[in-house]
Amino acid sequence: MMKWANVKLFALNLWHNATTPKTFYLLYTIFILLTAYAAVSSIQNHIIQNDIRKDHQVKARQSWEANPDKHPHRMAHFGTFAFRINSILGIFDYGLESFTGNTVFLEAHRQNSVNFSEATFSTGTLRFGELSLALLLQLVLPLILFFIGFSSVAADRQNGTLKILLSQGATWKEILFGKSIGLLGISLLFYIPIFLIVTITFLVFGDQAVKDFRWTRLLIIGLGYLAFLFVVSALTIIVSTSSSNPKNALLRLLGIWLLLVVLLPKSAQAMGNYWFPTPSKLAFQSAIEKEAIQKGDSHNPDDPHYNKLRDSVLTAHNVSEVTDLPFNYSGFVMREGEKITSNLYKKHHANLINIYRNQNDVTRFSSFINPFTAIKQLSMIMAGTDFSSYIDFQYQADTYRYQLAQAMNELQMEYISPKKKSGSEGKTHVVGHEHWEEFSDFSHKPMTFSNSIKEAFPILTSMILWIIIAFGLLLFTSKKARAI
Amino acid sequence: MITYKLFLKQCIRSKEVWISLLLIILLGIIGIIIGNKHLERQQQAIAEVNSYQEEHFDRHVSLHNDDLGLLLYYANFAYINTLNPLAGLSIGQADVNPTVKRITIKTFEAQKFDTDLVNPMNLQSGNLDLSFVIIYLFPLLIIVLTFNIVSEETETGTWRLVAIQAKSRLGFIISKLLVRLVLLFAVLILVFLIAKFVLHIPFNANFLLMIGLSLLYIIFWFTLTFFVITFKKSSGFNALLLLSIWLVLIILFPAGINAYISSKYPVPEALSTAIAQRDGYHTKWDTDKLATIEKFYQHYPQFKKYGYPTDGFNWLWYYAMQQMGDDDSKTQREALDQKIKLREQTSMQIASVVPNMHLQLAFNQIAGTSMGQQIDYLEATHAFHEKLRLFFYPKIFEGKHADTIDWDQFTPEYYEIESKVQPTKYLVPLLLASILMVLLSIPKARKV
Repeated sequence: MMKWANVKLFALNLWHNATTPKTFYLLYTIFILLTAYAAVSSIQNHIIQNDIRKDHQVKARQSWEANPDKHPHRMAHFGTFAFRINSILGIFDYGLESFTGNTVFLEAHRQNSVNFSEATFSTGTLRFGELSLALLLQLVLPLILFFIGFSSVAADRQNGTLKILLSQGATWKEILFGKSIGLLGISLLFYIPIFLIVTITFLVFGDQAVKDFRWTRLLIIGLGYLAFLFVVSALTIIVSTSSSNPKNALLRLLGIWLLLVVLLPKSAQAMGNYWFPTPSKLAFQSAIEKEAIQKGDSHNPDDPHYNKLRDSVLTAHNVSEVTDLPFNYSGFVMREGEKITSNLYKKHHANLINIYRNQNDVTRFSSFINPFTAIKQLSMIMAGTDFSSYIDFQYQADTYRYQLAQAMNELQMEYISPKKKSGSEGKTHVVGHEHWEEFSDFSHKPMTFSNSIKEAFPILTSMILWIIIAFGLLLFTSKKARAI
Repeated sequence: MITYKLFLKQCIRSKEVWISLLLIILLGIIGIIIGNKHLERQQQAIAEVNSYQEEHFDRHVSLHNDDLGLLLYYANFAYINTLNPLAGLSIGQADVNPTVKRITIKTFEAQKFDTDLVNPMNLQSGNLDLSFVIIYLFPLLIIVLTFNIVSEETETGTWRLVAIQAKSRLGFIISKLLVRLVLLFAVLILVFLIAKFVLHIPFNANFLLMIGLSLLYIIFWFTLTFFVITFKKSSGFNALLLLSIWLVLIILFPAGINAYISSKYPVPEALSTAIAQRDGYHTKWDTDKLATIEKFYQHYPQFKKYGYPTDGFNWLWYYAMQQMGDDDSKTQREALDQKIKLREQTSMQIASVVPNMHLQLAFNQIAGTSMGQQIDYLEATHAFHEKLRLFFYPKIFEGKHADTIDWDQFTPEYYEIESKVQPTKYLVPLLLASILMVLLSIPKARKV
């Protein structure tokens, strides 16, 4: 049985030992300064970036609305831009923000690439990493905990304190749990300021009108890191207990850090990339092109698919020429063409996304062998800066693109004279400019909370598993541990 | 000589040393395999475009033989960034930037920054290439091999013996370090030799420069550990201090500097250019045709002879409008170029005092995978685009048929990366950093 009074005693003892040396305060000050720097630069960057994007969204819209009366197909090509808005939790965890494009041009017939990621405009130094609050918690804080805790049991063993403690009636369980809790307490000293900064940023800068479940997300992130810090604290104490001397304990902990933080995540992603190769852009595009030609090429005057379509439309309306139809036939053909090519693109794009998902799954499921990956993934997903949030943006943009193209095709069918067979030039066959305003602007909605949870489900499972493993290992070590 | 042999024996007799040496060689090989995979993928993309282009032209010539203007609305021309096998050692920015660009003669700005298919997770996780192994992991190995070479002797009590017997205690420490330095040099050269054969790298100045820089970088870390060792603190203290230095230099500095650069120099110009080129072209559908054509002739007076066709749709007017997409976004484009240059310059300047960042940027430049070289490639793509325009404009305006043009001449073209290698500029900062560390060590080293 564990006596809670004893557990508390060991926790306080570790706390006291850790916070006595002057170096602790030096370390703490450095960490807080880093936190302040990371917070200021990420809040600043977040605001600047979102302002730039919102500003350009407005500018792009203004030019759209400023168009005079014209042929709707011209408007379908005039198109518009979708700018990706970074979620408010992006100030905490940049996630993929710097590696995903933020601007896509939306027009009829064409699915353009999402351009201008930070990485495109950066030198190779970006790959060293980015200083975010999440990085401090995921990468630096564990190291600090290792530095503080590596000798906590090993040193007691070396100087004989352990023997005395155990002979006076303390149990290994009490020592291990007590010290783990003590170390967790120390980690809170580092963790709470960061958590407070994010909360305050929410209150000060956050646009409260946006329904993005930010508080729930923050709560999950908060609990996630708490669990993570517990796992790291327990791990430190376990390694310290099972090492013969403090030096070995430190070397082992550093080895673990290097393996779990640097090598494993990098190799996991590299393996995913190796097993599920991404096709080249040309292969991707030409596969769509080939299939589109098979399905029917609206540009080819002798295309059987469109000839058949024309004949059936003519028969249905009981006329012999397309110019006698009650609507503009060219608009009709374009609507049909857009439908076919969009579906094709969607199908191929879904395949591509599946390849990416397969690549990423290697990393995702490595959460079950790597708690550092687990928290990294959870944090990114809940911050809305992960892969699925980016794909969600692409999807929203493409859906808008399709609606825009089809709205213009329908305007053409309705308002352009059936006698106008083709071409969109000139001032005679036009649609009133009031229609441009009617079609509302693109606005990037944050990823829904339920989708994020779905995405995070395996990660949450692995987090729970890690807590259980940490408990199990503490118990296991307490049975095996030797005092000498 | 005998002492050195003994030192070597002493160094490699521990199991941990062997394991860590083997581990780093293994990681080096993995890095080379990853680099090789990267090169293979690029080669495959190039092979695909080579076989595709001819077929692409055949199809469009047969579809639009009598309408060259329409044909060139669809026709894509490939421009390839020639691969340097050294890119397999330092992938740099080559994973985010496309190696093959396929462009039409329409507005260039609308195509310039189109990206390849990339999984952002791959970009974020970064490449485990050989440059990563050298820059990140070699320093760790150096720390592991050297942090206790003196403290170990003091802690086991042999230091006093050394102090009495050795001619010079400083000489003793330096010899111990030299043995480890030579050992790591051997490992590094072995890894580079493997890379040479796997990636088919020719023995040239650039390859040797890469090796030379790596050796200097290793020397820098040795001088740094020497500096720490001369304080004669305990093993634990040395390990903690050296690892903290590693963390600060390799992770916190670069990360902090990136944060600084990206918030100091945001790139709204990219977004403004995108909107300006769209408006530049598309609004011309509604404005006076004569004015558009006049503006076009101001840019290309040599085409004035094709007159001012303003009746209905015609290709001269159409391509004049497309040209306006580029011409009207010139201010924004130039501002963007300026900003990118500024970002690169700032990054280079700061990096020159942080050896690992400096080495990464130097590697990327030698391998042709730096951001600056990507921008040069885009500039060259622009020139290629201009060449195509000048070739096709008169033929379109004269209403020539597509089959009067020899399409076989349009095989994909290759861009040779301009070598911007400046050996002294790369070597000096690393050399200075090592010298600085030695100078800093002198006061303490005298008293060991």
